[in-house]
Amino acid sequence: MTARFEAIVIGGGPAGMAASVTIAAAGHSVLLVDEAAAPGGQVYRATFPGLDAGPVQGDADRRLGDAWRARLRGSAVQVASEHVVWEVGEGFRVSALGSNGSVSWRARALVAATGTTERVVPFKGWTTPGVFGLAGATVMLKAQMTLPGQNVVVAGVGPLLAAVAYKIVTSGGRVAAIVDLSSASDWLGRLPAMATRPDLLARGLMWMARLLRAGVPFHRRSTISAVHGAARVEAVDIVPVDGDRRPIPGRQPISMPCDALVIGHGLVPQTDVTGLLGALHRFEVARGGWIAERDGNFETTIPGLFIAGDGGGIFGAAAATAQGELAGHAVSRHLSGHSTAGEIGRLRRQLRRAQRFGGAMAELMALRDGQVDAITADCVVCRCEDVTRAEIDAAVDAGATDVNQMKAWTRCGMGPCQGRSCGDVAAAIVGLRVGGRVVAGKFTVRPPIRPLPIGKLTGRFDYADIPIPKPAPL
Amino acid sequence: MAGAHDSVDVAVVGAGVIGATIALFLARGGMKVALIDRGLICRQASGVNAGTLTMQMTRVALIPFALRAHHMWATAPQWLGHEVGVVVCEGLSVAFTDGEAELLAERAAKRRTAGAPIELVDGARAGQIEPGLSDQVKLAGHCRVDGFANAYLTGIAYRRALVDAGASIRENTRIVAAEEGASGYVLRAQGGAMIAARRVVLAGGVWLQEMAAWFGQRLPIKCLINQLAVTERLAPVMRTVLGIASGLLSLKQYPHGTVVIGGGWQGIGDPVHGPRAIVPENFLGNVRLASHTVPRLMSGRIVRAWLGLEAETADALPAVGALPGHPHVLVCGSVHSGYTSGPYIAKLLAEQMLGHAADLSLQPFDVARLIEGANSPTMPP
Amino acid sequence: MPVDKTPAKSLRIERRARRARAVTITVDGRAIAAQLGDSVAAAMLAAGEQIFRTSPRAGTPRGPFCFMGSCQECAVRIDGVVVPACGVPVSDGLVVERVAIDDR
Repeated sequence: MTARFEAIVIGGGPAGMAASVTIAAAGHSVLLVDEAAAPGGQVYRATFPGLDAGPVQGDADRRLGDAWRARLRGSAVQVASEHVVWEVGEGFRVSALGSNGSVSWRARALVAATGTTERVVPFKGWTTPGVFGLAGATVMLKAQMTLPGQNVVVAGVGPLLAAVAYKIVTSGGRVAAIVDLSSASDWLGRLPAMATRPDLLARGLMWMARLLRAGVPFHRRSTISAVHGAARVEAVDIVPVDGDRRPIPGRQPISMPCDALVIGHGLVPQTDVTGLLGALHRFEVARGGWIAERDGNFETTIPGLFIAGDGGGIFGAAAATAQGELAGHAVSRHLSGHSTAGEIGRLRRQLRRAQRFGGAMAELMALRDGQVDAITADCVVCRCEDVTRAEIDAAVDAGATDVNQMKAWTRCGMGPCQGRSCGDVAAAIVGLRVGGRVVAGKFTVRPPIRPLPIGKLTGRFDYADIPIPKPAPL
Repeated sequence: MAGAHDSVDVAVVGAGVIGATIALFLARGGMKVALIDRGLICRQASGVNAGTLTMQMTRVALIPFALRAHHMWATAPQWLGHEVGVVVCEGLSVAFTDGEAELLAERAAKRRTAGAPIELVDGARAGQIEPGLSDQVKLAGHCRVDGFANAYLTGIAYRRALVDAGASIRENTRIVAAEEGASGYVLRAQGGAMIAARRVVLAGGVWLQEMAAWFGQRLPIKCLINQLAVTERLAPVMRTVLGIASGLLSLKQYPHGTVVIGGGWQGIGDPVHGPRAIVPENFLGNVRLASHTVPRLMSGRIVRAWLGLEAETADALPAVGALPGHPHVLVCGSVHSGYTSGPYIAKLLAEQMLGHAADLSLQPFDVARLIEGANSPTMPP
Repeated sequence: MPVDKTPAKSLRIERRARRARAVTITVDGRAIAAQLGDSVAAAMLAAGEQIFRTSPRAGTPRGPFCFMGSCQECAVRIDGVVVPACGVPVSDGLVVERVAIDDR
């Protein structure tokens, strides 16, 4: 039994919530599928029942998240929370695993609003417990009200550095140091773009002032070269980097005692859905990596398949919301054949403004060759399978000319994260050797797009009901 | 003929396990060989199949070849020079119903006659051989010659061996046409490159039909789209190769802990567009069958499902030998369960081309029988 | 093996937050005090349990990393199903087991 909707939206973050509410407002049946307990995605993540994170004032993300959740509740959108999409096939048939096993739905239009994963460029000791992703730390701090440690080094690149450090400091934790890959001039150069969102700029300056007041040391144009401690984080090494973000050789690292490290090097769009359906993708480093081609209406090269939010290229949550609304209107036009309300112009202006800010931040975080080059031979790149840089290079030496051949020969990307943690960096390593990222390609997307618990998938069944095909020839 | 820059003794088109084996033995035999593929070496069926090296899914006529090929796989480090992760173990083909038991007994008897050492055992004995097995088994075929390879390592092992042997590997080279020349053939690749060869071997699996057409021959090849799946690394749940009587399941756990689920349940795809999508119902059926057979699989997770294209001729037996009217254009492929038997059949053809004596005849698989509208066979009956 | 791995100071943010009630979960048989609203991963970290699995080849310890359900480093077995602990809310009496794969 396959239920039908006019549209299905996959992913309940800013883009997915906005798209589904907009489609429903135009009178179309729409299903929003999301793997979390409640919609919100990562930036607008809801707390679990039983935890009240306190007054919502002063936390813009929570306020916006709550507002969108309220709009969803007041809309005709059907929400399937705690459903993990594992396959998307032709005719926009979406298969998802929920508490009652696998269910399938079909729709005439599909919106992929699957967001991103965080990129962490490997370094010695990055697999040690107590090392967390920077974006992940925001979830820990804001949605789960838990500190990553009592004495934390915050490292990487982008606006989350100050946001996370501020949250730690104001929550009773200590920040041992902030280690920023970028330089003061990287930030100054982006001031004009940042000035388009004076609210966000002011918030960032307030964070910085608070951190300076707390006496948090800033290490600009620096990176973490090693984590010390076998089973937990005891200290990290901080080294300066050059303009290409490569550690400067011969410089003595500063050892910084700490009990946790949070680190992030930008975001990578998740292209599972567009990849499964065979949409055309292109590589764009400033947008986070491989992204699906889309037109001005957020429609991909597959008619009826739309993509909204950071999954289609990194621009941040504010842009994701505007994209979601615009994509929602485009889906409504696709379904009904005629245009909807006259708010498109306003949304497009809002999107342009948000994209200017978010785009500048994405460019700040874009991966540089120097970061990839600096990964040492014995460093684990694929965390699931313990595949080192040396093994990836050896596969290229043996004749692998793209990431998929490299994967087959090393098991890099074959573990339970399905290449989500290592895919971008592993491709960058191969790309350094074979003539760039386009030649190196991307891991082919395979179903299930999340690990699929077999017992939950199969449910209870009778052997006699398995539709075993006729025997193979003898 | 103009523009042919490159001249070899033999051009092998199709760098799967069959083409790569032929190229390897020809190169070692002293020939100048080019191994050409439109994609990358062993990235189609030879790199993505379930790796099963079993007699219990092999066609009866192929058993003598499969037994010899099994030995080749088991000794790959010696003759190939590189590891393909082969594990030799026992195999069980099980029956859960009376109908399956009847089918199993009939199939095991025929395969035994052809030389496969298969014995029938009851469910209790099968449970001793495979502690992970379901207690619902009524009858099982037990074969001590079984095992599996790590198919995704096929490419790196063959590539290294071919480089050692001095064969030229031309990947991402898509041949679009062939012309007869003064001293053999000229193959024209997309983009204009030309390769002149005294002899040509077509080892294109599901693309054999397209290749035969370059020489004006109609060789119909059916394309199966086999679904496969693999779990994440699990604690040991099984130690043999498992199948069912009908052949619609293959199951084994690799030393690193992953369990590969296969059996030829069909997905969506074709030779032109390649594999396209799994069929969720078939995926579910295959996984249910697997977890019914090894109940402890229920606690594992599947991390990847994929599709492999398998070629099948009209009579489901291999196509081997010269194309009618083209004694220097040899076909080798469409071997059912070809990963198991392929290396031996390919080696036989290479030895035939080198003028060596062979201990089994490839005559029963002469491609001429499959050519539609052929005037006369090139070999005497 | 330390008797008590709970750090002296709690990782739980108390400032502003209100938690409905205390619950107990067990991790590989060890009782762990948790708060309703915690994820299993957060509760384990707050109780000083940083090691969630051992990597398959190098045998190195691993703990929660991405906190977004993607990296699978915090995957544990709950009710017979392997799931990332960062996305599962605690409930009283929840039984959590680490997943061992290296007992071949």
